[in-house]
Amino acid sequence: MNMRKFQWLIPIAVGCTLMAVANQMDAQGAKKYKVFLDMSYSGNIWQAAAANGIKALATTPPYDKLIEFKTIISGTDVQKQISDIQSMIAAGANAIIIYPLSPTALNRVIRQATDRKVLVFTYDSTVTEPSAYNVSNITARYGANTAQWMVNKLGGKGEIIFNHGVAGTAVTKTYDEQAYHIFHNYPGIKIVGDFYGNWNDSISEAEVSKILAAHPNVDGIWTVDGTYGSLQAVLKNRPSRLVVIAGQSNNGYRLMMADPAMQAKGLQGISSSAGPAVGGYAFKVMMEVLLDKKKLNGHNVEYPLPWVEAKDIKACAGDRFENGCNVFPDGKVPPLFLDTALDPNFLPELSLDAVQTGNPTPAATIQPLPDVKYADNLPGINCQDCKAPADALEPNLVTPIPVPK
Amino acid sequence: MENTASPKVRFTVSALRPETITALLVLLATVLMMLIMKALNPTFGSLEQIAAILTTSIFLVVASYGQGLVILLGGIDLSIGVVMSIGGMIIAGLTNGSNQALVWAIPVTVLSCIAIGLVNGLGVAFLKVPPFIMTLAVATAAFGVALGLTAGSSQRTVAPALQQLMSARISGIPIPILLIGCFLIGGSLLQSRTAEGRKLYAIGSNLAAARIVGLPIEALTVAAYGMSGLCASVAGMLLAGYSSGATLDMGDPYLMPSIAAVVIGGASVTGGKGNYLGTFAGAVFLSALSTIITVLSLSQGWRNIIQGGIIVIALTLQTKQWYLQKMANRRLTGQGSPNRALSQNSKV
Amino acid sequence: MVMSMKQASREKGRPLPSSLFAAILYVVMFVIYSINAPSAITLGGITDLLNNTIVLAIASAGLTLIILAAELDLSSVGVIAVSNVLVATVSTKMPAGTIGSLLLVCLVGLLVGLVNGWLVAFLGLQSLACTLGTMIMCQGIALVILDAPGGEVAAFIMNRLTDTVFGMIPVAGLILAMVVLAWLLFRRTRFGIAIYAVGTDAVASHLTGIDVKGTKLRVFALAGVAYGLAGYLLSAQTGTGDPRVSNSFLLYVFAAVAIGGTSLGGGRGGVIGSVIGAAILTVMQKLLFAVGVADFYTNIFSGLIMVVAILFGNLSAILTLHQRMPLTRHGDHGYSAQ
Repeated sequence: MNMRKFQWLIPIAVGCTLMAVANQMDAQGAKKYKVFLDMSYSGNIWQAAAANGIKALATTPPYDKLIEFKTIISGTDVQKQISDIQSMIAAGANAIIIYPLSPTALNRVIRQATDRKVLVFTYDSTVTEPSAYNVSNITARYGANTAQWMVNKLGGKGEIIFNHGVAGTAVTKTYDEQAYHIFHNYPGIKIVGDFYGNWNDSISEAEVSKILAAHPNVDGIWTVDGTYGSLQAVLKNRPSRLVVIAGQSNNGYRLMMADPAMQAKGLQGISSSAGPAVGGYAFKVMMEVLLDKKKLNGHNVEYPLPWVEAKDIKACAGDRFENGCNVFPDGKVPPLFLDTALDPNFLPELSLDAVQTGNPTPAATIQPLPDVKYADNLPGINCQDCKAPADALEPNLVTPIPVPK
Repeated sequence: MENTASPKVRFTVSALRPETITALLVLLATVLMMLIMKALNPTFGSLEQIAAILTTSIFLVVASYGQGLVILLGGIDLSIGVVMSIGGMIIAGLTNGSNQALVWAIPVTVLSCIAIGLVNGLGVAFLKVPPFIMTLAVATAAFGVALGLTAGSSQRTVAPALQQLMSARISGIPIPILLIGCFLIGGSLLQSRTAEGRKLYAIGSNLAAARIVGLPIEALTVAAYGMSGLCASVAGMLLAGYSSGATLDMGDPYLMPSIAAVVIGGASVTGGKGNYLGTFAGAVFLSALSTIITVLSLSQGWRNIIQGGIIVIALTLQTKQWYLQKMANRRLTGQGSPNRALSQNSKV
Repeated sequence: MVMSMKQASREKGRPLPSSLFAAILYVVMFVIYSINAPSAITLGGITDLLNNTIVLAIASAGLTLIILAAELDLSSVGVIAVSNVLVATVSTKMPAGTIGSLLLVCLVGLLVGLVNGWLVAFLGLQSLACTLGTMIMCQGIALVILDAPGGEVAAFIMNRLTDTVFGMIPVAGLILAMVVLAWLLFRRTRFGIAIYAVGTDAVASHLTGIDVKGTKLRVFALAGVAYGLAGYLLSAQTGTGDPRVSNSFLLYVFAAVAIGGTSLGGGRGGVIGSVIGAAILTVMQKLLFAVGVADFYTNIFSGLIMVVAILFGNLSAILTLHQRMPLTRHGDHGYSAQ
């Protein structure tokens, strides 16, 4: 009986709470642009760093006075993302920056937005809708470049473990295709094991442990993410002989790459892979277009691919990447921290605290960006009726070595 | 009713055995699977690889224990993935690279996760919300709170002691494997031999009868969900130690497998059946299965097809074994259709 | 036993209290939403909302049937994924692609449903675990058919099915209305009543001559067709194929059914409640956005609203139980299986 009365009150209470919460979010007085960040994936270090970077930039002067900024997390259901974008349009958005769940599923709703003169940008993950702007390094041929780099270091022969990303994504399909193409050019290279690490370090570590147990003579590991975990598996199971490895830019991984003791045991690493700073960069480009400071001639902007080798690694003294330093000393940040969350060239306004908390850097102001570089066409990734360049599977940062006899 | 007393005794004895037999059958299937793989692929199945399989199965082994207790009651816990992640993030955040902090960080982590479990239990027991919804709602809300507070990943390093726990060995055996052994023995005893454990079975089998007998159903329900939270916190801490870090999505890959492990191990999702040995066998089976699928080097699509197919086959074989056992029981007790009214057939 | 069957069918004639409470909650939520977002009551706003709801609504309608029969089914997302990639790959390539792909995906859903039904009803496998297996297999099949998002859905499907007819009535609304109508007719058929009977007490149903196994088989098959249709409509919404359907969608399907008042233990509830439950979950997203709930609170409120909706449903359960004979197994089944 008590419970029944109690139950009737609950929805009324919820309704009142909602009203009260809503009243706290007042609209601002002066005319401000309404800018939304729409995230889909959340709860992992990459997404967290990217979102923090964007939030920090949105609250850095002069943007903090110019825009009304809100973050929405749509979750991993594409229909929810469609619904949220429609809500943003209805709420009068001027610009939306999205991490899209699919290169194609959002096209219709993005068109609804652009039809109403909403500026739509995506970061890292791209869409094929022509009216949207994509900012990503997916066209920078990560797969081909890293695979060729590994082949060069291995002298054209050796055993490799292949760590796929999340299956069924355009990114995984593109990079895998490029990497396989390069590896298959060299008959001496054998892929002895492959698994789906899902860009996750725990899974990568577990799977590499198991494959390593069956193939004790593995020479190299190719990854897109989960690099630190993959390397941990080798360190724990075969510490005397390390591997040639290509992958992400986790701070712990870069420290190991640069460690002479590790190099002596055979560790050769390349730190590349899409970094969270692409979010902040996309945001700044979008804002410059919104404020009429920039005009884009194309819809696909390429964010440069990070490319750091062991010899380029330099420890930072403070909280920022300056004077060419690109890694933090051990203990300052957790090993999984992504060094590519910071970008001293394009995003000097971001400090370590900004990407860890989302707070703006004190005394920073938004700096203008140089001209953008436009990206190649990749059908199904960032364009619909288009053709990829003829050399889409070839490396452009590394010169291939000849095939050994 | 004097006559039903002796068949009841025999019923109890033979009622335990089918579950143990199921567990042993699942372990046998695991070994068989590995032997076949070894025949096809000689590099497979070395001692090292088996050690790696067992070591990495510890998270599932621990998490599915809690899931098993809840399923025994006829419920389900969908918050295990999120609670594991939260446990990992709390321990990473509180220890921040220091071993001394473990002394108080571990209890705080465990208590926090138990608290989440208790919320689940209270909702199911007193508000009568279906466990599916209650645990899903709590998981969603907890995820939201954690996401808001941390933006999704812990910026702190886990205490080195925890990391070493997961990677060190004692006389050649990785510590996690020893931990699994202890956990298996302790967990089985708690579930099947203590009075509280037996009461869970009773509640799961026949709620009305349990109520008539006067079992503290609400208290035990809350306790079971609390235990599930506890197991998830332990699994989360171990996972954080293993991965040297914590993110809010790191527990997600363990939710569905925790349910699958319990069910493959012989438990009935309507409650009242199953022992921990079975769940453990299910967890090991799933770990070995995922390794085998990896070794087969197929595209993800085919991997899923094979994995799903093997789960269905495992269930089919298990059901055949149950059926044979029931036939044997019936002949033993000499009773006919009244058994069917008392058994779980009406739900299956 | 015959008496309780008659009683059960007599109760079918009454309006279902459980979905009534869900409907009230929905109206409350929609009112709050439209107060904060004036575009909600425009034709465009309502069309968008219906488009967002329909996939979840039809999927949960299918699941409702299975839950009424006291079984569980996780394979909905798998069938939806396979349907989606099939429509995206063949609808532009086959003649009469619009109808053809619809029939194809319904057939695929039917087949998966038959497999599930056979495993559960005839081999006696536990439905939760068995459909977990078939779900994973279907996800694999979807990946094999289409290994990355892409494909192209025929323009007619994509444009017309998300639009309005006569400039006034959203197509999605029409489809929902047809589904609800079909349900109202269906639940009075022998098959419909048999589902309730089997879900309430399978042993008793068997003793009264109902073909329990056949009923379960057909229920799974019918649900499979519903999932196929849901996948087809998802293709209309997204215009392309994606082999991955998120796990969170699966949980929403169950939540929609439970919120709508269908008991997860079987024997009580209906499709109308589940459709309203799906509508509640969809409008919840829009409500939280419109009211301006910061993303920190969104998930907390989502969880809270789900629990509130269930409490509403429980209220109805308490009321309906008082209308039944006190000593039937209804009382147990309502709670023991939860």
